Amino acid sequence: MSNFKRAPTGAARAQAQAKQPNSILKTLQATELIVSKPVLPAEILVAILDYLPVPDMMRFARTSRRMREMVYDDTRWVARLRSLGCWDEAEARRRFEETMRRRRELADRASVSAAPGAAAAGGAGGARPMQPPTSTTLFDATAEVERRNQTQLRKLTDGFETIKVTSGQPPRDPFEDPEALLQVIKSAKSVRGHAREEYGKIYGALAPFYLDLIRAKTHTDPIVFQVFRDPERQAKMLANLRTFAKSDWASGWQQREEKLASMIGIFESAVLREFEQGYEFWDVDGRMKKYAHVLDTLSGDGGSAGVELFIHKHPIFADKEVLANSMDCINQAPADEVVLEPSRRFFDVLSRKVNAQADIIERIFPRPGPVFWQFVGKVREDIIMEYATPLFDETHERSILSYVKAVSGLFEQTLQFFRALTPPKGGLKAEQEAIAKEFTLKIFEPHLDLYLQDELDYFVRQAEREVGDWEKKLSEQDASVESFYMGSFVNRQADKRDFLTSFKKVVMMPVSVLPTSLGLPLGSPFASSSSRASVMGSSSANGNSSLQVASPSAPSSRPHSPGLATPTTTTGGVDRTGSPLPGGKAPSDELAAKTALMTSRLEGIKSLFSIEVALSLVHQAKATLGRIAVFIQLGGQAGGEAREQCETIFVQLLRILGGRHVKAGFDKAVTHLSQYNARAVEASQHDKGGVAPLVTFIELVNVGDLISQMIDVFYEQQLAGPKIADRNDFLDPAGLAKKKFEQMLDESVAAGLNKGIDVLMDEVEYICATTQLPTDYNPAGPDQQQLGPGTSSTPAEKAANAAAFVDMDIGPTHTAKRVRDLVASHTSMLVGSTDKSMLDVFNGEVGLRLFAAVCKNLKRQRVSTAGAIKLIADMNLYFDYIRSLKNQDLLAYFKALRELSQIYLIDEKHAKEMATIIADGDRFGGIFRAEEVYEYAERRADWYHVRKDVERAMYGLECVLM
Amino acid sequence: MTEKVSKVTLESNDNVRIQIDRAVAERSMLIKNLMEDLGDDAVADSAIPIPNVNEQVLRKVIEWCEKHKGDPIQSAEEENDNRKKTTEIDEWDQKFMQVDQELLFEIILAANYLDIKALLDVGCKTVANMIKGKSPEEIRKTFNITNDFTAEEEEQIRRENEWAEDR
Repeated sequence: MSNFKRAPTGAARAQAQAKQPNSILKTLQATELIVSKPVLPAEILVAILDYLPVPDMMRFARTSRRMREMVYDDTRWVARLRSLGCWDEAEARRRFEETMRRRRELADRASVSAAPGAAAAGGAGGARPMQPPTSTTLFDATAEVERRNQTQLRKLTDGFETIKVTSGQPPRDPFEDPEALLQVIKSAKSVRGHAREEYGKIYGALAPFYLDLIRAKTHTDPIVFQVFRDPERQAKMLANLRTFAKSDWASGWQQREEKLASMIGIFESAVLREFEQGYEFWDVDGRMKKYAHVLDTLSGDGGSAGVELFIHKHPIFADKEVLANSMDCINQAPADEVVLEPSRRFFDVLSRKVNAQADIIERIFPRPGPVFWQFVGKVREDIIMEYATPLFDETHERSILSYVKAVSGLFEQTLQFFRALTPPKGGLKAEQEAIAKEFTLKIFEPHLDLYLQDELDYFVRQAEREVGDWEKKLSEQDASVESFYMGSFVNRQADKRDFLTSFKKVVMMPVSVLPTSLGLPLGSPFASSSSRASVMGSSSANGNSSLQVASPSAPSSRPHSPGLATPTTTTGGVDRTGSPLPGGKAPSDELAAKTALMTSRLEGIKSLFSIEVALSLVHQAKATLGRIAVFIQLGGQAGGEAREQCETIFVQLLRILGGRHVKAGFDKAVTHLSQYNARAVEASQHDKGGVAPLVTFIELVNVGDLISQMIDVFYEQQLAGPKIADRNDFLDPAGLAKKKFEQMLDESVAAGLNKGIDVLMDEVEYICATTQLPTDYNPAGPDQQQLGPGTSSTPAEKAANAAAFVDMDIGPTHTAKRVRDLVASHTSMLVGSTDKSMLDVFNGEVGLRLFAAVCKNLKRQRVSTAGAIKLIADMNLYFDYIRSLKNQDLLAYFKALRELSQIYLIDEKHAKEMATIIADGDRFGGIFRAEEVYEYAERRADWYHVRKDVERAMYGLECVLM
Repeated sequence: MTEKVSKVTLESNDNVRIQIDRAVAERSMLIKNLMEDLGDDAVADSAIPIPNVNEQVLRKVIEWCEKHKGDPIQSAEEENDNRKKTTEIDEWDQKFMQVDQELLFEIILAANYLDIKALLDVGCKTVANMIKGKSPEEIRKTFNITNDFTAEEEEQIRRENEWAEDR
């Protein structure tokens, strides 16, 4: 603090002492004045100036040049104008730039005129030697002053502008031009360097009223009320004064502002009284309108006091017609139900009344938009809440189902109601949407958590009960069903495809695309309730037509499962991901019929799991989701919660359907499979061409696949379609649950198929063992000497064989056909019902095992040259079948087998060539080694005849001999 | 930081040492920053010299700081709002500021030097109240301002700002 200056005060002190004898009072005064030794630095003086009232500041300016600079500093006054809200930085900058531009132009012009001939092309003016830049600036300043004077002269025409900072005679009497005074704040300009003058205009106009008002003892005193007689102007002036008070920073401003506020309060209540009287007479266009505008002018916020009064005393809140009894919705409905017709009527009436008010509000209030929404907010609070809350409470006590229906239905109606309102002009549509959502959320917020929880609980409980009921029913019938299932399984392979196709079609129906029946948008309660209704079995008018429309396209299938090769599926081929939203209208009659049909046909797997149960679970989930989904459009936290709840319901659906129902069925089927013993079953069973538990299981796989597809469609359309779940989010719980479900299904299928292969091969071997006659490959032809060891047949069989031999063609044997049919039927059943790669593995395994079985069978037989034809035919049969599986690795085995079978055809005379073939590894593609082929060669009926020759040829004994 | 020095010693320019609570001293941003920069040890060992302030003024300033040690520090946002700044001076401060003008100015200067915002504000407000309603000549005397206007110039300024005159 080196600037801690002390003025030389010795002289002053001496002066004071000299004056001492005069008067003690004077001395005191003098002392106070002269002890000012320390001089305050400028920054502190500036701070002190901030605390001074305007008049003192101006006196301060008169003390010296430096002080004047400080007081006149533009920023000080800009800050004041800013506090009044009438400083526009953009405008100031524009003016400033305009001035600069004009100044440049003037400079150019001046320089041109000053030096007409001297290198005027330069233009910039800086390069001119005769005219230094300083003189240009001087000239500019004068030009500017002139310009300003001109504008001031022009301004003189309108009344107020005569209050000029430079003019010697500002109008002291506000009575002269009250109108201009009202506009003073608005007409202030933002000019840099002239903020003080602008503020001066405002101060000059308003400060007299302001200070007068502050000094006033009663509300009749202030000259404000004398100058302006009509309430509009009085309000305007008071509003101006309130704004003006914001630039009053000097100490004591709190008291001044309070005083002003109380004055305004007195005025406001008087106006409000007038407004109220007008209200009582319903004098809409007269007093109400007038005083609403006065209130608006006064407070600047739309006249909130008047608005509150208007809304508070509005007759609609006592209107008997509007105040309906929400209990109608329950009383008119059957148990567990709720009808939404009364509530719809309620909202209709309310909507009409509120819209009528919109018009009146527009007539009364200067800013009708906010007033209207405030009014609607009150309606929401007092009428809709009063309507909805008891209804919800009551339904919640009665039954959860009616509760969830009531909440969802009313929610939709409420949202519709708010959207359908016609606010006064000027409101934005987006704004209305946001307000509608906000109000709806406010109504439903208290119920939302409970509702979402109840919805989930209800769904889980219903689903659990459904599955539980089914299990109970099953265990009651268990014994009979078990025998029925094991005993009376019919071979309906022929119509199996057809049945699965139609089944699939119908299963898809309720959740698949019905583009033409989309009468209502998804999410409207009417759509969901009608779909619910139709699903539940009531007939819908367009059910049949929509079925016809949909049937060609309905059975969309998984991309990897090419359907069951029926015309309907293949021609359908609608990509489900690209399909529009589900219409939700199920062809109920058809569906019911088909379901019944299917159920009867599905007797076989009834004890495992029920497609009906799955279907009904999905329907329930759909209904629940439909109800919750309407809440999602709320957005924000509530919408997010609703969305989460939707996902949770989906997860629960999969848990119950997958974990409890399907998995249990699969486990049971696998158990059955593993217990199956081909030899333990009566022979009559085997004639039917299928291994009963395996067929059952494969059917199960088919149904499981259908359910999986159903879930997939459901997921796509109910969750992914309306953006409830994100398909690409791999952490999405619904997506995870779906993957888990599919994985579970695949695992079950894989486990079952593993067992199924064992069972199938047992069956194959059993067929080979029981039906392959020794004479098949070693026919008892005319030369009986070739009879092998297997000729100990009964005479009857011999006769049959003889007969068979007589009309024997060179086709395959009965056994081979049966084995082929058995295997083929089982593998083909799986086509399209499970994962492609799994199917490949399954087929590969079946083929290998079949190969082993055939080899094993072959080794048990004696094959004569004549029988070799049959053998070759058999092998060709197998080969053709395997080729249909399109598995190259597998094909090699059967190719080798086919080659192998040819060694039996070789006549015994060509034993040496036979040896060559046996030793030729390439011939068998590496499948058989020479030793193995040799083993098969041993199965020749005439082996003992040719053995010597063959061995000789193979092991070179011939050579040794030679 | 568990063992904070609870006392600090200040030394005025006339070499008088005054020991005060650290919390009191921290009302001054200058001392606060100084202590943070120097570290506790340095502060504990030696007195902090306050070269521009004499004992009388320093004691006065400390008295104020003792009284106001619990006050919340003003935020920068509050400082920007002109109106918030202009709150009334409370009674204790009014009494505190009833000193002769020389001392008042010295307190203000000390507050400015020591960077005690609130005290500086109170001082400025007191001065503002002091010159309220005074004529230019009286103001000149108060602040020791030399009048460099001619009578015409002064009259010109008065006329320029006629709008602001009390009515």
